[in-house]
Amino acid sequence: MGKFIVIGERIHCISPVIKKAMEEKDPAPILKRAEEQLAAGATYLDVNIGPAEKNGEDLMKWAVTLLQENFDNVPLCLDTANRKAIEAGISVYNRSKGKPIVNSADAGDRIENIDLAAANDAIAIALCAKTGIPSDNDERMAYCQEMLERGIGLGMEAEDLWFDPLFLVIKGMQDKQLDVLGFIKDLSDMGLNSTGGLSNVSNMTPKHIRPILDSTTVAMAMYCGLTSAIANPCDVRLMETIKSADIIKNNSLYADSFLEI
Amino acid sequence: MAFKRVPQKFTATVNEVTIGTGDKAITLGGENVLPLYSFDAPITNKARVGVQITDAGYDKTVPALAAYYAGAETIADIAKKASEMPGADFVVLSLEGADPNGEDKSVEECVALAKEVAAAIDCPLAIQGSKNVEKDAVLFDKLAEALQGKNVLMVSCKTENYKTVSASAAIAYSQKISAESAVDINLAKQLNVLISQMGVKAESYVMNVGAAAAGYGFEYVASTLDRVRGAALTQDDAMLQMPIITPVCDEAWSVKESIVSEEDLPEWGARETRGVQMEVATAAACLAGGSNAVILRHPESVKTIAALIADLT
Repeated sequence: MGKFIVIGERIHCISPVIKKAMEEKDPAPILKRAEEQLAAGATYLDVNIGPAEKNGEDLMKWAVTLLQENFDNVPLCLDTANRKAIEAGISVYNRSKGKPIVNSADAGDRIENIDLAAANDAIAIALCAKTGIPSDNDERMAYCQEMLERGIGLGMEAEDLWFDPLFLVIKGMQDKQLDVLGFIKDLSDMGLNSTGGLSNVSNMTPKHIRPILDSTTVAMAMYCGLTSAIANPCDVRLMETIKSADIIKNNSLYADSFLEI
Repeated sequence: MAFKRVPQKFTATVNEVTIGTGDKAITLGGENVLPLYSFDAPITNKARVGVQITDAGYDKTVPALAAYYAGAETIADIAKKASEMPGADFVVLSLEGADPNGEDKSVEECVALAKEVAAAIDCPLAIQGSKNVEKDAVLFDKLAEALQGKNVLMVSCKTENYKTVSASAAIAYSQKISAESAVDINLAKQLNVLISQMGVKAESYVMNVGAAAAGYGFEYVASTLDRVRGAALTQDDAMLQMPIITPVCDEAWSVKESIVSEEDLPEWGARETRGVQMEVATAAACLAGGSNAVILRHPESVKTIAALIADLT
């Protein structure tokens, strides 16, 4: 198995600084966050431009070019509900360091994002949900199969579909956590890749608690076979946990300085 | 159903490191396939053979070496002949006489010798130290300074002296260095991490992950080579993507099979033949495990291994 892939989540228009930078096409704040995340160990960077209904295509092209030019063609995860904006981003994307990721498809309204990924030789994050939260793992698996068949039917490799089990908030959905982990195990047993928005689990908990819940969840999920997460690489505890789990899983060879690389 | 061959090539590659200058400079590494798997993808740079001489010349108890170097009076003459040995890609000067527990030749004497050797040959030069970590730190520093512009490979630095050797030979004087660990995958990676943290660029160092003669713990060497190359290619581990150099002859010519005389063990046959067999068997196994360069002594071994590389690349 390869090393766990961290998709840095911090270029997100929900952040006022990034929102403003995207509106004004001001590179500095975006480049700063990209640099911090890459230095901290992110492999991919998520570029969330929001719904971007008006100028999405133009904005995504600008962001992709900006980041790839400044960071040696860093691989990117294009994150918006605006399909045309994702296509526009891919049209200027350099894939020398990795395929673009389409974030995201689901088994409902967004299933056509799988078609988009297939047509553009991209990776698709495939959320195992249709409307709302699936009631159990059978339902999750049905959505997974539906999207897997659709992707393969369109010529995709199974490894280019990264299934998202949908991490659920611990505070309020405590009883569902083992279901999600069990589903990750099911995906892993099928040899499928997986990813997801890890920090969902610690939503609404105190700030000092979040790194603890996030890193414990990722360790347990990696044991179940999770291959990637959309997460905050600037969380030191989280990254130390991921690197340690990669060592324990023999995904990476141990050296005394493994936390520094 | 017809067999469909799927080439196993990787997106990760072994780093390229060039030693020497001009037409005869050689580049080690660069491949994105398992060792000698030229049927999966072309091997970017073929493995190379270095011919070892020492500060004392060569092993005069080996008849073919005495015959090959006959007439060569000075170290410079011997080096020139070594560089002309059929199959040789580079010359390796071993400064074993610099060992403080042995002859303890002075740094100045060694530097003078190395300069003579460098001037006498037009192929790349590698220099093996005394194997004493304190002495080598000083030795490599002065050698690197004296041989500026020659792009020499210093074999090797260890955990105890990597800081000095990195800062001096690799960074201040732009030579190439080799990181030595003794058949320990975790230490091999760690030493590479430490050297990279010193600021030495990937194209400036190779690694020697240890060696043993065939039959003398070689299985540990084999598993180390496998694990190192596996991590470099399948896990894209940047801290194990250095080309590998293996000083085979130091091991192969120091085991019982290569030392005991025919008088003592007549049923084993000629000593020299045994030595060559040990050297060839060990070198071939190292190349199959992932060595990008091997260091040998005997003309017959050099010729045989060079032919093997040519046929399998």
